[in-house]
Amino acid sequence: MPIISAKNLIKKYPNPEKSGETFFAVKDVNLNIEEGEIFGLLGPNGAGKTTTLEMLEGLNNFDEGSIEIDGIDVKVNPYELKKIIGVQLQSNEYFDRLNLSDLLNLFAALYSTSIKPEEILSNVQLENKISALPDELSGGQRQRFSIACALVHNPKILFLDEPTTGLDPQAKRNLWQLAKTLNENGMTIVITTHNMEEAEFLCDRIAIMDQGSIIAQDTPQQLIADHAAEIPERRLQGNLEDVFLNLTGLGLRE
Amino acid sequence: MTVFTKSQLYLASVFIKIYYRDRQSLVFSILFPIIFMGIFLFSDGEPNRTNIGLVNQSQNELSVQFSESLKQKEIFFVQEGAEDALKESLIAGDIIALIIIPKFFNDSNTGKLQLLLDASQVRQVDSIKDSIESTLLSIEREIRGNEPMFKLELKDIKSRPHRYIDFLLPGILAYMLMNLCIAGSGYNIVEYRRRGILKRLFVTPIQPKDFIISIVLARMFIVLIQLSVILGLAIGLLKINIMGGLLSLFSVIVLGAFIFLCIGFFLGSLAKTQEAIQPIALLFTFPQLILSGIFFPISSLPDIMQPLAHALPLSVIASATRSIANDGANLAGLNFNFLGILIWMLISFVIATKFFDWHKVNS
Repeated sequence: MPIISAKNLIKKYPNPEKSGETFFAVKDVNLNIEEGEIFGLLGPNGAGKTTTLEMLEGLNNFDEGSIEIDGIDVKVNPYELKKIIGVQLQSNEYFDRLNLSDLLNLFAALYSTSIKPEEILSNVQLENKISALPDELSGGQRQRFSIACALVHNPKILFLDEPTTGLDPQAKRNLWQLAKTLNENGMTIVITTHNMEEAEFLCDRIAIMDQGSIIAQDTPQQLIADHAAEIPERRLQGNLEDVFLNLTGLGLRE
Repeated sequence: MTVFTKSQLYLASVFIKIYYRDRQSLVFSILFPIIFMGIFLFSDGEPNRTNIGLVNQSQNELSVQFSESLKQKEIFFVQEGAEDALKESLIAGDIIALIIIPKFFNDSNTGKLQLLLDASQVRQVDSIKDSIESTLLSIEREIRGNEPMFKLELKDIKSRPHRYIDFLLPGILAYMLMNLCIAGSGYNIVEYRRRGILKRLFVTPIQPKDFIISIVLARMFIVLIQLSVILGLAIGLLKINIMGGLLSLFSVIVLGAFIFLCIGFFLGSLAKTQEAIQPIALLFTFPQLILSGIFFPISSLPDIMQPLAHALPLSVIASATRSIANDGANLAGLNFNFLGILIWMLISFVIATKFFDWHKVNS
């Protein structure tokens, strides 16, 4: 029994370029994500990753299909869903003039729970920044804080939307380690990324999206075996990018 | 309190904290009412005396008596001197009018007073002429020892203070309440949405009504403090009489804050950008400044406009505060306005929650 089960998801918009026509942001997406796994959603810009993620998070309506997460029908009961998921968004802006401790307490209150901010912050190695403002944090620290905010209610599932975009290699590795540690403690993680190295390092399974559809879904190892243009000499190392480019093509995306 | 959930109260306290930590807006929100009251303090004391010049070419007993009587009139400040110098003052605008008593000035020739005016100050000419004429008439009576036939005695039927500022202040209070509230909710929400802060909030299980209630509670608290300062200054410095109970007055302010904060939310949801909220808010507030009887009573509007004008949210709040402040009404005695307040509370809360939009607008 998968913890996340999405069936035949469809999300349409009126096409901004041709009036009267509809544009499929997400087209017939099926996803089964098992409890305790790290699941990667890959795809070029505009492939529908974030839209799919937001539908799973109960933030975005979908036109057709169904999503069941941990026994909750997302369409029927989005507020129940939000109690068991933690979400890190791409943009992480917060109210002005509130420090990390204030913000964590605020998020805890929104889940009707109370926390010790220093404990949450020590999980993401920010315990010495407890009185800092988010604006005073570096890029990597900001992302870690963003994850900390998503952890205040000890969620079953954590959604990460491109968490390492723009980070330096050290901060990136550090964040991967954080995700690994959370996962080892039993948290299911769904992550979107463009970074193949990241997907390969972190993910148990991967779905590759393009133009609103899932075009491949498997373990990184199997995908490499099936789709990498040339079979790598050292097996299953560093060639997921080949898979990605082979499947989605070399054309630039905006 | 069980009316509000813990999350709502916590979020409200956070909004107050954010506001309290914003030193600049804190300073200005205290400075503003002080400056505001200052303007009224200096502009609405006793009306200034009108400066007029007097040239006495006659210097006989009658003309001196006339000039002394004129100088005793409270509405004029009389400057007596030589004709040439005073004419220059008239042209320079230092005096409004110049009265010249001719050389031959006696009982049979009093009508020959000359009045010189600067015609470019046309707006004032008529009223100056009227008041000078009536003054001359009363001086004539004094000199001749006649009793006036008619005398007007001013008596207010409501036996309340009849200064214009007493009429003005409750309305101004309501108007400021409206502006503070719309700025407090409408402008904030557009900014929070643009920066994706609202989206981050609605990832958690709170609902739009929780968020709206929290901001309304916080802003209500802030607005109450701001208006208390204004009211305190008004009572202390301008000697405004509040005939009714302060409790009733504050109740109306609280209910009014609720209405305008909710409307602010609604306007903030209509406006997709920070640039758009300004004209949208102005479109809502400015007509009400004219139509809601803030500066002059609604009864002076054209008949066809009056029912509409009476129903506007600012009208019901302003009329309510004025009834309490000027006529000593209490909450239950507000009748139509109280009903209006309740209806607007319902409408504003419904439109605020129904149209509430936390989605980030992608430009």
